[in-house]
Amino acid sequence: MARQKREVFPAGLYGMLLFALCCLTLPGIAAPIERLLVGTACLVPWALGGFGGEPAAAADAGVAERVAALARQLDERLREHDLGQGPAVLLRDHEPMLCGVVASERRGGGGQPCELRLDRSHAELAGCAEFVTKGDVLLGTLVRQGQGVAAADAATDHARVLLLNHPAARAVAAVAQLPEGGALRMVVRGAAAVDPAPLRVDLWDDPYRAARLDRGGFDVRTLALPPQYGGVPGGLWLGRTLVWGFDGDGIDAPVTIGVFVVPPIEPRALSHVVVWRKRDGVAPPGRRPEPLRRAATVRELPGASAGRWLVAADVAVPDGAAVVLEGFCLGTARGLSFGLGLLTAFPSSRHPWNLLLLPDDPALRPREIVAQVERSDAGAALVRWRGDSLDGESQRLPPGYLFTGSNGPHCPPGLLLGTAVPHRFDRSLLEVTTPSVPGPQAAQVVAAEEER
Amino acid sequence: MRRWLLWFLLVPQAFLLEGLWRDTGMPSLDANVLVGLFLALFAERRALPWLLLGAAVGRAMVDEARLPVQILVLGIPVAVLLPLRGLVFGQRWILQAFVAAMLAVAIPKLALLCGRWFDQPSQTAGPDPWSVAAAALLVPPLLFVLRALPPLRGFAEEP
Repeated sequence: MARQKREVFPAGLYGMLLFALCCLTLPGIAAPIERLLVGTACLVPWALGGFGGEPAAAADAGVAERVAALARQLDERLREHDLGQGPAVLLRDHEPMLCGVVASERRGGGGQPCELRLDRSHAELAGCAEFVTKGDVLLGTLVRQGQGVAAADAATDHARVLLLNHPAARAVAAVAQLPEGGALRMVVRGAAAVDPAPLRVDLWDDPYRAARLDRGGFDVRTLALPPQYGGVPGGLWLGRTLVWGFDGDGIDAPVTIGVFVVPPIEPRALSHVVVWRKRDGVAPPGRRPEPLRRAATVRELPGASAGRWLVAADVAVPDGAAVVLEGFCLGTARGLSFGLGLLTAFPSSRHPWNLLLLPDDPALRPREIVAQVERSDAGAALVRWRGDSLDGESQRLPPGYLFTGSNGPHCPPGLLLGTAVPHRFDRSLLEVTTPSVPGPQAAQVVAAEEER
Repeated sequence: MRRWLLWFLLVPQAFLLEGLWRDTGMPSLDANVLVGLFLALFAERRALPWLLLGAAVGRAMVDEARLPVQILVLGIPVAVLLPLRGLVFGQRWILQAFVAAMLAVAIPKLALLCGRWFDQPSQTAGPDPWSVAAAALLVPPLLFVLRALPPLRGFAEEP
């Protein structure tokens, strides 16, 4: 009888499935087990790969120099664009400081991340203004150490930015100029996670006129308020309106149910933000040191699909570490035991990437986008992008060089992936070409010193 | 103990061997279907969770998604097909071919679904008719041979 019951209900198998579900909810439980098990299994192909020849060193030092020059150009153009157009009221007694985004956390309005961790500590940004911008776009506010979501943070922890779509973010007074004349004043706050955009309009100065809005796309900018009401600088761009409701059918008039605001750069695409440091005569903190690069060897994993590599380094390979070869980022690795890692090359990966596009045309600004590979063939990939509508919803991306954006502490912004050209027919697709890697190679693994 | 060592040593490598086999231009032999069919129809029930873990490690070597996702992708079809065991035991080739075809469709579909749900996209391509036909025709005879060899022989359940 007991045997029959066991046969009908294989408790061990169901237990293993339940354990897998728990591990997906709490990834920390399974990570060490996975590192050990998959690492042990990878020892066999790694040992066999040793017979495939010695790793080749970088063939042309000039390539690495050219890549470094492109990375410098990206940095200069990012600074030029992001720091160039600040709010006048802040520019009077503050100076802008470009900060990298290390991580995007928590789901906020529009289902997008609503909290950023910066590559600077609370202590480094202690004297900065509250507002965080990018160009002339208001993104959110800096959280002071010991307050709100940073209540438990130490001074050396990564500084936090509360984006405007955070449930605890402040509401902002704003105004939209209407093309038929006049303006609508409103209060904008974070939308719900299920809403179609990160921000929504909460209150109107003229609700009757607002209810007659039958199309969106109007620029919404902040209204300057006196310091006792929050002191938000005026004229900063929040985004464009998105009208949600029922279209008219010729007989019935369109019905507006809600008006949302779509930020020109999606929160999940942000790789850099600008904080405003008080001009107090003290020298600003220096540039953040680049994460360490450790020597490593990459070998193709025999039998795996193209673009899957084994990485071996003298130190533990961190999860999500970028692997760099001659200045090019090949992809990110999953850390395993015994100093091994499994690298998925960018064209073979299917997870979303934060990317930076440096247009060939030096007059154009760099684009911050989030993208996912749809199809790939050897070193070429078709990538669907979104996230940057600064120049309008229907813009096409220009051809240029594609760099990593903010993809975690071990994959910093500014690593060259390859070249990108827009798809001929579909504006949301990019054709990306990455360098091919023949045989075992001496490479580098990016490993940040520590995770604060 | 030896049978477990052999399972964890050889089965993960089968996923790489499958790729090497495919690279030679031979008809595709899906290691996922092979392992899934063995676990669902022939493996010792008590040993199933750990056998599944060994197979999932093999999938985690060749696929981007993490180990828990691989456990679900292989384990859910096995859990669903387990009650069919009474029908398929012995050498009912047609039913085995049918189960292999089901696995060839279900595993890639499940990999895509799990990727979407758990935000861990898989590199697995969607099922195509040729791979489903190859799985149905080639995997049952191959499994018949492999069941007589270690490590599968050590875990084959008597009818």
